[in-house]
Amino acid sequence: MADPRPYPGTPRWVKVFGITVGGLILLAVVLLHAGGSPRHKIPAGDAVGRDPPSSVTEDATRFGDDVNGDTAPKSSR
Amino acid sequence: MTMAPHLRKFMLTAHITSSVGMLGAVASFLALSVAGLASQNAQMVRGAYLAMELTAWFVIVPLAFASLSTGIVQALGTTWGLFRHWWVLVKLLLTAFATIVLLVKMELIDYAASVAAETALPSADLRKMGTELLLHASGGLLVLLVPMVLSVCKPRGMTRYGWRKQHERPALYPP
Repeated sequence: MADPRPYPGTPRWVKVFGITVGGLILLAVVLLHAGGSPRHKIPAGDAVGRDPPSSVTEDATRFGDDVNGDTAPKSSR
Repeated sequence: MTMAPHLRKFMLTAHITSSVGMLGAVASFLALSVAGLASQNAQMVRGAYLAMELTAWFVIVPLAFASLSTGIVQALGTTWGLFRHWWVLVKLLLTAFATIVLLVKMELIDYAASVAAETALPSADLRKMGTELLLHASGGLLVLLVPMVLSVCKPRGMTRYGWRKQHERPALYPP
């Protein structure tokens, strides 16, 4: 039986796709850490009597909204 | 193990229907999020966020799971396999990634709908959440377009695993 042919390698389109996806992930990480995320100023207060998603409260705390005092006033309810 | 032709056609139809349906549902979600952000009419904004929640829970999430499961069955039940061809593997990873991000963002979608339903509009907080949902819907639509293109083009290229498997088996059709 003849030896099997060697693996020809990863196709070019997979490499290009991988580099593109990697670049986009890097860009997203940089934007998130640079404060580009639109949700980072969402207050932790529950204006409707519900807890906001944990990601929202984490971000609000991380960016120090309460400390800076720019959290929106809570509902009078 | 390969599926019988009738079952294979049924699964293929189910996979195409769920995948294209999910793409359309995400496009509708995007249109609603634009309406929620751009409209000056409080009733329209409220309606948009409530419709976004319903669309996400009752259309997008079921279709995402249907697309993922029918895709896996389709790959395993045909000679394509799940890990043998790069285009199948990339499709699987992208669909799984989109489904996970969708499930993570469901909490935010629910919260935005409850804020829209129970607070006075316009709300700055709702606007910020709406912007995030708009970005995610746009990104999701782009991510879901890639598997669609891959399914149509089926670009060449086997994974190392697929290559090994192909050369382990004796040829089904001698030259």
